[in-house]
Amino acid sequence: MPAVAVAKRRAKKRAPKRAEAALPKIELRAEPTAPPPKKPATLTLLDFFPQEESQQTRVARFFTELRAGRFMTTRCAKDKKLLWPPRVTCPQCHTEELEWVELPQRGHLYAFSALLAGAPLGMEDELPITVGLVDLEGAPLRLFGRLVGAPWNEIRVGERVRVEPYDLPDGRVFYRFHVESRSVEKPT
Amino acid sequence: MTGGRPVALVGGATTRFGVRAATWSQLVQEAGARLFAAIPNLAASDVDSLFVGAAEPERFAFQSHVAPLAAELLGLEPHRIVQRTELACASGQSAIRSAYAAISAGLSDVAVALGVEKMNLPSMAEANTSMACVMDRPWDGAHGATAPPFFAMVAQRHMLEHGTTEDQLAAVSEKNHRFANSNPDAQFHEKSFSREKLLRLPLIAPPLRLGDCSSMTDGAAAVLLVSGELARKYTDTPAWIRGSGQHASWHNLANAGSLTEWTGMRIAAREALGSAGITVDQLDFAELHDCFTISEIVEYEALGLCDPGKGGAYVADGRSDLGGDIVVNPRGGLLGCGHPLGATGVAQAVEVYRQFTHTVPPARQVPDPEWALVHNLSGSANVHSMMVYARGG
Repeated sequence: MPAVAVAKRRAKKRAPKRAEAALPKIELRAEPTAPPPKKPATLTLLDFFPQEESQQTRVARFFTELRAGRFMTTRCAKDKKLLWPPRVTCPQCHTEELEWVELPQRGHLYAFSALLAGAPLGMEDELPITVGLVDLEGAPLRLFGRLVGAPWNEIRVGERVRVEPYDLPDGRVFYRFHVESRSVEKPT
Repeated sequence: MTGGRPVALVGGATTRFGVRAATWSQLVQEAGARLFAAIPNLAASDVDSLFVGAAEPERFAFQSHVAPLAAELLGLEPHRIVQRTELACASGQSAIRSAYAAISAGLSDVAVALGVEKMNLPSMAEANTSMACVMDRPWDGAHGATAPPFFAMVAQRHMLEHGTTEDQLAAVSEKNHRFANSNPDAQFHEKSFSREKLLRLPLIAPPLRLGDCSSMTDGAAAVLLVSGELARKYTDTPAWIRGSGQHASWHNLANAGSLTEWTGMRIAAREALGSAGITVDQLDFAELHDCFTISEIVEYEALGLCDPGKGGAYVADGRSDLGGDIVVNPRGGLLGCGHPLGATGVAQAVEVYRQFTHTVPPARQVPDPEWALVHNLSGSANVHSMMVYARGG
């Protein structure tokens, strides 16, 4: 007999008459008492904020200094170009010889606005999200950041602000700008 | 300078733009069907290359590797080049630019450039999150930066430095929505917006109101680009790509410099117009990237249509309208059509072809156009992409 015909005959012999007959018989037992599933030890979804630990980034010092109240960035050791955000190479001369420098923490607003609708995930409760560009006093840097300390419709261009470190819910640290006073510099 | 083979745009089509009851893949299918309907002589086997402009399919549709997916949906088997192009809001023009480069260099003869974005999701917070990672995500996006507050700051500075008014912003929106009324594929087709009505809409990011912002839109568009000697197989009226320019120099907002002088756009315009061998006053119309009303105003200035600071008066005086110096955004713009990121740049090119072939309704037909410019900015206006088209005979 040809091999194909043999296979067909065997298949027919093994096939159950009804599909249910193929299901294994299960005896009822007490419900198993398995331990609850372990929560993942690490953050598994990326979010907006920087990865700040030294295993993850070469600029971990920015965050450890920020926690200690100092606002830092890197500067090229050769041509002294001030870099933002903290870099690990100089985009101007391409050296890896950078040095940490402390930045001034006061500045004034070059421009600002507030997002009144349409917040990203996780920021829905933070509306209105007030943001601005801040000219740091004594450093050639204009930094973008969240503004707190005054409602958006009471803020004016030229307003003085200061850097404010704050803790993220998962223990990381980040920075924002706090509107400092009512004194307004003449807009540039 | 452009030194390669002549490249012709020989037809194109868009889906209806809007909040669509359709998935990412279904939008691609619609654009493909309309492309083949628009170009009867096109056979799928003609197409040797496919470029898919898609900004964030990973976030909006949770889908990577989208170029082969689009090829499958269109029944294409590209055997020269198949790839996705990503440049945020300019992803669509990037697809056209890449097809242009490939054909010009002799690496492709017949290429489809398709752009697509599916932006309306069950959770709009999810969609807004996608927009926030266009910026320098850990250093700018983390503060809550999406496009509206950034362009609001541009408007604030423009008002402060040049006296631009909310009424002038509304003039941009009124014009582009009026053009969109004659575009049945536009998101805001058959919706009229008077300046008075626009100025009463809610604030989104002060000073920008709802009517100053382009919307979250679903849509797709596709064009066919071929080498010059093949153009007549598909159309008697090809549009020729004559010039191209692009500029990028910064990404983090700290490195933006002036918010109101878009020097990168000046450089891209010099390159695009220079490579086409024309001056800005030879343009009959332009598709400019009006993601926000203030964008179009700053773009008049950066393109050299008017002096710095005079963009508000330029639109308010009707100089960018039919009957003016140049018609800007006759398609209806991003404000009137909506802005499905990857599709926008391709839909603008479709408009160029339709204007050149006099196949748009009279309400938006530019009289006898010969030269057109298409511009996209991307991100926080840190990249400018431009192409110059000439009508063929």
